[in-house]
Amino acid sequence: MNSAFTYLLLPSLWSSRNRATRRERGDLTRAALFGAMGVGVFTVLFFGAAWITWQLSGYEELGEYLLRLGLSWIFMTFLAFLTFSGIVTALSTFFLSDDLRLLLAAPIAARRLFYARFARTVAQSSWMVVVFLTPVLLGVGVIRSAPATFYVTAALTIVPFAVIPVAVGTACTLLLVNVFPARRARDLLMLMGFLFVASIVILLRMIRPERLLRAESLPDLTGFFSALQSPLTPLMPSFWAGELLFASLKGGWDALHAGALWSTACACCVALRVADERWHFSGYSRSQEAPKARFARFHGIDAAARILPFSAVRRQLLVKDVKIFLRDVSQWSQLLLLLALVLVYLYNFRVLDLGRIPYVSGFVKNVYAFVNLGMAGFVMATVAVRFVFPMVSAEGRAFWLIRNSPVSMHDFLWSKFWTGLIPVLLLTETLTIAANELLGVDPFLKAVAAVAIVFLSFALVGLATGLGARYPRFTADNPTEVAGSYGGVAFMTVAVLLVVAVIVLVAWPSTTYLFYRMRDWRVPTVRLVVMGVCFVAAAVLSLATWLSGMRSGVRALDAMSN
Amino acid sequence: MIVVDNLVKQYGGFTAVNGVSLEVRPGEIHGFLGPNGAGKTTTLRIIAGLLKPTSGRVLVNGHDVAAEPERAKASLGYIPDRPFIYEKLTAGEFLRFHAGLYGLDGDGVTERVHEMLDLFELRRWEDELVETFSHGMKQRLVMCAAFLHRPRAVAVDEPMVGLDPRGARLIKDVFRRMSDRGVAILMSTHTLEVAQEMCQRLSIILKGKIIAQGTVDDVRQLAGGADDHLTSVFLRLTGGSALQELDEAV
Repeated sequence: MNSAFTYLLLPSLWSSRNRATRRERGDLTRAALFGAMGVGVFTVLFFGAAWITWQLSGYEELGEYLLRLGLSWIFMTFLAFLTFSGIVTALSTFFLSDDLRLLLAAPIAARRLFYARFARTVAQSSWMVVVFLTPVLLGVGVIRSAPATFYVTAALTIVPFAVIPVAVGTACTLLLVNVFPARRARDLLMLMGFLFVASIVILLRMIRPERLLRAESLPDLTGFFSALQSPLTPLMPSFWAGELLFASLKGGWDALHAGALWSTACACCVALRVADERWHFSGYSRSQEAPKARFARFHGIDAAARILPFSAVRRQLLVKDVKIFLRDVSQWSQLLLLLALVLVYLYNFRVLDLGRIPYVSGFVKNVYAFVNLGMAGFVMATVAVRFVFPMVSAEGRAFWLIRNSPVSMHDFLWSKFWTGLIPVLLLTETLTIAANELLGVDPFLKAVAAVAIVFLSFALVGLATGLGARYPRFTADNPTEVAGSYGGVAFMTVAVLLVVAVIVLVAWPSTTYLFYRMRDWRVPTVRLVVMGVCFVAAAVLSLATWLSGMRSGVRALDAMSN
Repeated sequence: MIVVDNLVKQYGGFTAVNGVSLEVRPGEIHGFLGPNGAGKTTTLRIIAGLLKPTSGRVLVNGHDVAAEPERAKASLGYIPDRPFIYEKLTAGEFLRFHAGLYGLDGDGVTERVHEMLDLFELRRWEDELVETFSHGMKQRLVMCAAFLHRPRAVAVDEPMVGLDPRGARLIKDVFRRMSDRGVAILMSTHTLEVAQEMCQRLSIILKGKIIAQGTVDDVRQLAGGADDHLTSVFLRLTGGSALQELDEAV
C-alpha cells in the first residue's frame, strides 16, 4: 500500500477530512452560500441543456447534426481551458508546492512521485470541467432518453479527455521551467498570462460567433454549417469525445474514437513520465535557486508619489503597496486573467450586432445598459474581494511594523482605501463607458451609469477595505485564501445585494424618464419627486456603505492595537 | 557516514558553494559554521537531494546521492531550516505518513511513532492539528520525523532556532545519544556555544569555500589564538572587524 503512488495523495485527503470535522467560524454560512450557488448553477445548466436538446429534437436530422456538433464544440472549448489550467497547476504541483521539500528529501521513486503529482494536477485542473459537464450531459441524456451506457461512456470519455490537454500543459511547464533561468517565475507567469490572453483572442477569432447571428447572410445552408464546423477537426481529442458521446447517446459504441482517446491519453502519460524522469529534478532544482533577483525598481512610482498632496506616511504606505503589488507574480498573473475576461466582455458587445435582429429596439438596448451596469458591478465586487479585501491581511506577519510605528490605524486604512479605489474605479468606469458606447445606448443612460459606477466604486472599495480590516487573515499563504474566508464571503454577499439595490433604485427613475421623453410628455411633479428620491437613495446607500465600512474597519484595527 | 567531495554549486554567474569537501564519520557530530549566506544551507540541501550540484559528489552511507538517490535518502535524516509540515494533519498523522514515505509499515509504526513523540515530549499533542503548534513544537515534530526511520546519517540545518532552553537541552541530549549509537550528524549552526559543546569536529565555510576544518582546538590554532573562545575565533576567521565599525556607527 505504501509503495503505491496514491499513498502520496493521503495528506490531501486527511487534511480535507480534518478540515471538515473541525469547523471554523463561518464555515456553515460559507457552505450554505456556496452550496446554494452550486445547486443554482447545476439547475440552470441542467434545464438549459435539456431545453436546447428538446428544441433540437424537433428538427429531426438537422437537430441530430446540430447536437453532434454542439458536443464537439463543448469539448473543444474545454480543450483550451484544460491546457492552460494544466500549465498553471503543474507549475504549482510539480515545482513550487511547499510539500515537495518534504517529498523530494524522502526515498520516493521518481515515477511514483510523478504519478501522484500528475493525478493531482489532472484533478485540480479538470474539476470545474467535470462540474460543468455533469448537469449538461445529464440534461441531454434525460431528454434523449439515453441508455445507461451513455452515462458510463460519459465518465469514460471525460477521464482521457482531461488527461490529454493537462499532460500537454504539464509538458509545457516542464519545458519552460528548464529553459528559463532559475527563479524567473515572474517572467514565466507573465508569459503564461499572455499565452492565455492570446489563446482567448485566437479562440474567439476561430469561433467567430457573430456568424451565427448572420446565418441569412451566408450564401446557403451548406455555408452556414461549414462555418459551424470549421474549427472542429477530426484530429482533435474534442472531436473524438463528441463523436463517442453522440454514438453512445443513440445506443451505439464508437470504438474508433474511444480507442483514439484512450490510446492518446496513455501515450501522453508515458511520454510525459519519461520526460519528467529526465528533467523534473533539474527543473525543480532551478526553481529553488535564488540568484540576484531581477526586479523593477519603479523609480517612476517614487517620483509620482512625491507630486501627490499626501503626508509622508500616506505617501510611503502607497509607494510600498504599489511596489509590492507590481512585484508580486501571483497578482500579475491574475490581473492578466482579468484583462482577458474584460476583453471577452467588450468583444461580445462589439460582435453582437443587435440591430440585425428584428425584435431588438432602442428600448432593449437601453435595458442592456442596466445589464451592463450589473455586470460592471459584479466585476467590481470580484476585483474588490480578490485585490482590495486582502490588502490588510497582505501585511501579514509584517503588520507589527505598522502597529509599532506612529501611524494611526485611520491613516493606515484610508491609505489602503485610496490605493484600491483608483484602479477599481478606472477599470469599471472604462468598462461601462466602452460597453455602453459599443451598444449605442441613450446618452442620458450613459451618464447615469457612469455616475452610478463612481458611487458603487466608493461603496464597494470602502466595504472591502473595512471588512478586510475587520476579518484579517495575517497567516494566509495567498490573497485567494483571504478572499475565500468568512469575511470575503460576507463581503461578496453584501456587495451583490448593494449592486442589485443600486441598479433597482437607478433603473426605475431612468426608464421612467426615458418613457416620458420618448413620448414628449411632461413628467408629473409627484413622479419627478419620487424619481429624485430614488436617485438620492442610491447615492446615500452607497455613501453610507462606504463610510460605515471604513469606520468599522478602523475601529477593528484600533481594538486590535489596544 | 557523509562524504562531500569537491562540491560546486553555481547560480548563473554566482558561485554559492566552491569546492567544498568534508567527511562526517559514524558517531561524529560535525559542526558546519559560517556567516549568513556563506553556503551552508545550499550544501545541506544538496546532501539531502533537494538541489542539483554543478559538480562534485555526495555520498551518504556509501550511496551516491546523484546516482542512487533513493538508497541515499533512505539512510539519511534531513532537518531543514524552514521545514514543511502539513498544517491540517495531526502530529500522529504526519509521523505515520512520514513513516510510510520511508517504507515503514505494519504494527511497529505506531509503536515507533509513540516512541519518538515521547522522546521529544510531544505525546500529549499526538491528535492535535499541526497548525496549532508553536514554532518550537513544530521543530521538535520535524526532528521526530527525521529520526523515525532510524537513519545512519543526519543533516540538520540550524536545529536550535526558536527553541526554549529546555527544548534546546532536549535536542542536544538526543543528538548525543544518536551519535553514541553511531549516527553521523552534520549540523549547521550559528550558536557557537552549541558547536563548542557538542561537535567533535568543525568546518567553517566563508563565501562558499571551507576556510578551516578540524577539531575545535585545530580551528583555534588556525586562527592564531590558542585560548580564545570559539566566538572570537569565528569572528577572526570570517572577518569580524565589521563589528567595530558597527559599534562606532551605533
